[in-house]
Amino acid sequence: MDQLSRWARIAGTAISFAVFGIGGLVLALLCLTVFRIVAKKPRDREERAQYLVHLAFRFHVWVMQRLGVCELSVRAGEGLHVPGGQLIVANHPTLIDVVLIGSLMPQLDCLVKTDASRNPFMRAVVRTAGYVPNDLGEAVVEACVARLQEGRSLLLFPEGTRSMKGGELGTFHRGAAHVALRSGRPILPLVIHCTPRALTRGQHWYDVGDRPMSFTIEIGEPIDPRRLTRPNESRGVASRKLTAALRDFYQARLYDRAGRGAGDAFQRRDLQVGHRPDEDRVPFPR
Amino acid sequence: MKTEFHFRDEDLRLGTHLVDDLDLDSIDAVDLAVRVEQKTGLSLDEADLKSIRTIQDIVDLIDERL
Repeated sequence: MDQLSRWARIAGTAISFAVFGIGGLVLALLCLTVFRIVAKKPRDREERAQYLVHLAFRFHVWVMQRLGVCELSVRAGEGLHVPGGQLIVANHPTLIDVVLIGSLMPQLDCLVKTDASRNPFMRAVVRTAGYVPNDLGEAVVEACVARLQEGRSLLLFPEGTRSMKGGELGTFHRGAAHVALRSGRPILPLVIHCTPRALTRGQHWYDVGDRPMSFTIEIGEPIDPRRLTRPNESRGVASRKLTAALRDFYQARLYDRAGRGAGDAFQRRDLQVGHRPDEDRVPFPR
Repeated sequence: MKTEFHFRDEDLRLGTHLVDDLDLDSIDAVDLAVRVEQKTGLSLDEADLKSIRTIQDIVDLIDERL
């Protein structure tokens, strides 16, 4: 039975990739045609495109759930839908983290690698949605701050890329800290718990594990940069302090108090993060 | 470099590599260049910044220019 379910999930994963590809194509076509006509101003087009991406991601998560590839629940917390644009930060264990988070937010800006736009469909969608190109340095920080000041929410992954093979956190880059400091905004940390591990760095797409991926997205308490740094500190020091605090937060959330990896704790279902009876657990979709 | 980044004396040697050892990113590089410019009166361009890898490189550059 287990083997059967594994094969079913491998097939389901393959179908999910196909759905993603086709979805990209459809989105690109929409962006290049209908949107050009319906929304004249770039800002309008960006909003619509991002909303469409959100719908596409919601659909994609729904498909994956129906296929038994994954489960998603959100540990309810305030702060995700506060008006005015949030600086959202998350760890990055799997390939589909952006899809999961994007499915929760009708508007979301993010960074995109400039070379990921080799795919012409992705390029069209990315350009229409107005995502921030990930060139280096000041320009990216400025662009991110501008998005926040326009009232748009922005997602950044401090690790910059997927977490390490074994599941340990990668190095936290200081970009998110710089954006937080320069914009004066608090950081809203999302913690992505995923068990068993699949679609991680170093894994083949068909390494689907012995049961569906169970995702729990925990919405953490906002981290206020002003409480962690002093006003007259150099930004080199401030960004390092803030980034270290951020990393400590994730380290604490992802690994239990005994310091064991999350993988050990998840061997026993009753210890699974998010299954504590007193937590308010909201299954997705609502 | 100590004030800007809170590095300790023992971490700073001539051979210390700015990126590999001190983990400076592109924003730090800008801040560092600004400080060097303030302290020495020199003005550094992009090409200069690209050629600096270690503390020795900074020292050499300043030496050359002053």
